[in-house]
Amino acid sequence: MLALILSLTFAIAGVPSENDCFIRQRQTMVKTQIEARGIEDKATLQSMSTVKRHLFVPEKIKNSAYDDRPLPIGYGQTISQPYIVAYMTEIIQPKPDSRVLEIGTGSGYQAAVLAQIVKEVYTIEIIQELGRSATARLKDLGYKNIHTKIADGYHGWETKSPFDAIIVTAAAEYIPPPLIEQLKDGGRMVIPVGSPFLIQTLMLVEKKGDNIKTTSLMPVRFVPFRRSN
Amino acid sequence: MRPRACVPKRLYFSLGLLSVSIIAFELVLMQTLSIVQWYHFAYMVISIALLGFGAAGTFLSIFRKWMLEKSEVLMPLLMIISGIAMAAVIRIAQIPFFRFDCYLLFSEASHIWQLVFTYLLFFCPFFFAALAIGLTFLKFVNEIGKLYFANLVGSGAGGIAVIGLIWLLLPQQIPAAISIVPVVSGIISLSKKSRALVSVAALISLVIIVYSILNPPRLELSQFKDLRRTLNLPEAKIDLEKNSPYGFIQTVSSPALRYAPGLSLNYRKDLPVIEGVFANGDWLGPVIERKNSDKAFVLDYTTDALAYAMNKRERVLVLNAGTGTGMLHAISRGAKEILGVEPNSALLSLMRDELSQITDSLLDHPSVSMQNIESRTFLSMDTSVYDLIKLPMTGSFGGNAGLYALQEQYILTKNALSEMWRRLSEEGVISATCWMDYPVRKPLKLLSTIVEMLEYDGINSPENYITAVRSWGTITFVLKKTPISSIEAERVHEFCERMSFDPAILPGLVQEDRARFNVLQDDDFFKYIDEILSSEREKLYSEYDFNIRPATDNRPYFSQFYKWQSIPNLAKLFGAHALPFFEMGYLIVVLTFFQILIIAVVLVILPLFFIGWEGGHILRTLFYFSGIGLGYMFVEIVLIQMFILYFGNPIYAAAVVITSMLVCSGIGSYVSSKIKRIWDYLSTILVSIIIILFLYAIQLVSILNWSIALPLPAKIIFAFILIAPVSFLMGMPFPVGISYLAEHSYRQVPWAWGINGCVSVISTAVATIVAVELGFVWVMVFAALAYSLPLMSEVEMRR
Repeated sequence: MLALILSLTFAIAGVPSENDCFIRQRQTMVKTQIEARGIEDKATLQSMSTVKRHLFVPEKIKNSAYDDRPLPIGYGQTISQPYIVAYMTEIIQPKPDSRVLEIGTGSGYQAAVLAQIVKEVYTIEIIQELGRSATARLKDLGYKNIHTKIADGYHGWETKSPFDAIIVTAAAEYIPPPLIEQLKDGGRMVIPVGSPFLIQTLMLVEKKGDNIKTTSLMPVRFVPFRRSN
Repeated sequence: MRPRACVPKRLYFSLGLLSVSIIAFELVLMQTLSIVQWYHFAYMVISIALLGFGAAGTFLSIFRKWMLEKSEVLMPLLMIISGIAMAAVIRIAQIPFFRFDCYLLFSEASHIWQLVFTYLLFFCPFFFAALAIGLTFLKFVNEIGKLYFANLVGSGAGGIAVIGLIWLLLPQQIPAAISIVPVVSGIISLSKKSRALVSVAALISLVIIVYSILNPPRLELSQFKDLRRTLNLPEAKIDLEKNSPYGFIQTVSSPALRYAPGLSLNYRKDLPVIEGVFANGDWLGPVIERKNSDKAFVLDYTTDALAYAMNKRERVLVLNAGTGTGMLHAISRGAKEILGVEPNSALLSLMRDELSQITDSLLDHPSVSMQNIESRTFLSMDTSVYDLIKLPMTGSFGGNAGLYALQEQYILTKNALSEMWRRLSEEGVISATCWMDYPVRKPLKLLSTIVEMLEYDGINSPENYITAVRSWGTITFVLKKTPISSIEAERVHEFCERMSFDPAILPGLVQEDRARFNVLQDDDFFKYIDEILSSEREKLYSEYDFNIRPATDNRPYFSQFYKWQSIPNLAKLFGAHALPFFEMGYLIVVLTFFQILIIAVVLVILPLFFIGWEGGHILRTLFYFSGIGLGYMFVEIVLIQMFILYFGNPIYAAAVVITSMLVCSGIGSYVSSKIKRIWDYLSTILVSIIIILFLYAIQLVSILNWSIALPLPAKIIFAFILIAPVSFLMGMPFPVGISYLAEHSYRQVPWAWGINGCVSVISTAVATIVAVELGFVWVMVFAALAYSLPLMSEVEMRR
């Protein structure tokens, strides 16, 4: 009888809930994958600690949600490695009054991370099924400042432009001219470049008047690729 | 005791037909898997499947007595079952529960099991067919020479037959069409004893096959394939489909499909919508709508326009012209004579007919002419000079995870550039564009190829002959026949200013100008460029984490960048999970090798528990049949590689080599059965093979280069003459060895056949790795050395 009571006590109090597990994983993710790699912006770190990444990946790989790698979400798309999401968020220098455009909603995770920091997020997804599921997910999670659209991201979102920042996750061989137009003067655009499971650089586009400058950023901590024998 | 049985004549025909179907099915399976996945995964799956031959040998060794007793029923039944399997396996592999995706192998464990299931599935047709062949060899071993002849000639015919089928049918229809052949071969081999049971099986199989022909399975592409991702775009649809040995071509339209690689950020107009062309599900190129009246062209705003910015180009040669984008660009820049070279005749046919409306009949334009031939073959035959020679774009945006690492790219070797250099007019240029990648590999390798070619041609100041311009994503190298003038340098600066590009190489360039518009956080890139241009490049080659040495005709793997010693460092930087996505193609071949080796060792050792471990005899048998299996496949693979350049077409190369080798080996096998005491001549035969292969290693390349300008029919005959003698001889050791075993150790016959099967499969992976690491010449040397194994065994046996 005592043994039964004791085991019940442990069952109620001692076994961590699923939520606790994911909270711990998220905290570990922020500490070891993001902060440890030099992400310093407090708003970004806070957002990454808050947004439940495991709700944005397919159920069958939920347990891998906080791993240090990109994950497939269907339709040939991936949810970026957590560090890349944090890096892209930090690099666009988001502010509480910023209005940000995202091309390629995907799972909606990047939009959710941004929504914690900025005033409005406008996100476009060209694949209908992905767009619908992301919209539903973001609505269920209570995000009021994310506006979604299923459309061709080439045209941007002219009626809501200009934007302080643009994140182009569904990158192509060209940067659509309308997006350059819709970027505010002094605004920043970031585009991850690499194969679906291996992002190698982040391209930062900065607009200052008529001048457009690009910078290839190395998310990997810079170490030269040559060794002396 | 060795049985002596009389071979019914119909059995030779039946065996030949079955062999036709096996080779044809193997090639079709390669195409199908390349469409739904990628070529190297197709190669991996098929390599494992071909172990069905080795497994058949093992099975026969263990159940020899029972199978011989039931052979009259089993032989036709096995043939018919293999036919059913051929008709069914692709459909089953497409079922979602079983379907694997190679990209997801490294992120979802379930796909590993699905891959294992795929192996087992595709293993079946080969296993059952090989059992039928092996049982025939075993039962009628006294006529092994003639039976092996039927097997080899049938295999050779299978390679030719499937080419015809590929032209006529869609990929998903072909397996069912082929599956009729083993069923027919089973019916032909029917004896009175087996008629009832096997006839029922034949009837059932024909029903399945007819159903499969009328309802071919839908091929489900990996979600990461270019075509599949494009079909996710709004209103995307497949407009045209055309199958050919060059690949299954499909064109796709969507209002969201556009093309402008590395477009200048100063371009503010609308981008034209294009029709996309895909081959085996991979992006091939755009068909850009253009009217002859159009003044501007979107490619004017890419680094690709550099050569035109420097000077007018009257005579333009576009190599691997593809969908004609380079030719359209040349027209828009006022070129007077534009010659396009494109080997893919199916694509050309589409461009000429169904797609001509989009391009305003590009191929009928008065300035344009087209050659349907491989670019290197064209260059070796052509004597004209050009103001601009344009290479196709290298790489893709975002990279392709090294999936094309083992694709031979003869257009990007030092030898190729040298041939192009000789075709330039006084002010002529070669233009090559590639995507910037990180870690930087492709641009550095392209530059090292250009620089070493110049040095070989006696030019010691390459920096005066080369200019390069970089956008946010692409870099274009232009190599001039004579030093770049100050006027041209000025024009390059103006072009860069207009487009917000940055010069990377230019006479008189200052460091600050290299990254005004497009900054690189890791600007060591410029240091590497300068080292390649200087005499320091050897040091860079050895210290850099990636292989950036130029590709040569002997090792034409431009996209192979892996250095094994760099793996620990790359794993530390990018994480172990990322490693497969760097150079997936090469890793797959190595992975394939280890998988095959483990399975083959088990298959070879297992029968020994049943036939006994007879000390030295076992080892001699092992070495003898391993050596000939290894050597034969090495020769076949390396000859196909060498003849790809010779014929300018991988299809012709494979068809000529495979057919010549198998037919001549078959004749050799047949002749060996007619010579009394052939065993006495075996040493001479083996020594002759070794000598000829060493001669090939030393001289074959020179002989092929000397004759490369011959017309195609003459080249085919010449190739046959070159291949015939050694192939004839190489057809003899196997039946001679089997005959010897039949006399002295009959139980070892199926085991020996299984060894040969297993080692043949291993050798394809080994040959590929040797070719990448050391070059084709060494593959031929290893082939010669492989034949020393049967020679040593033979000498040992005599002793």
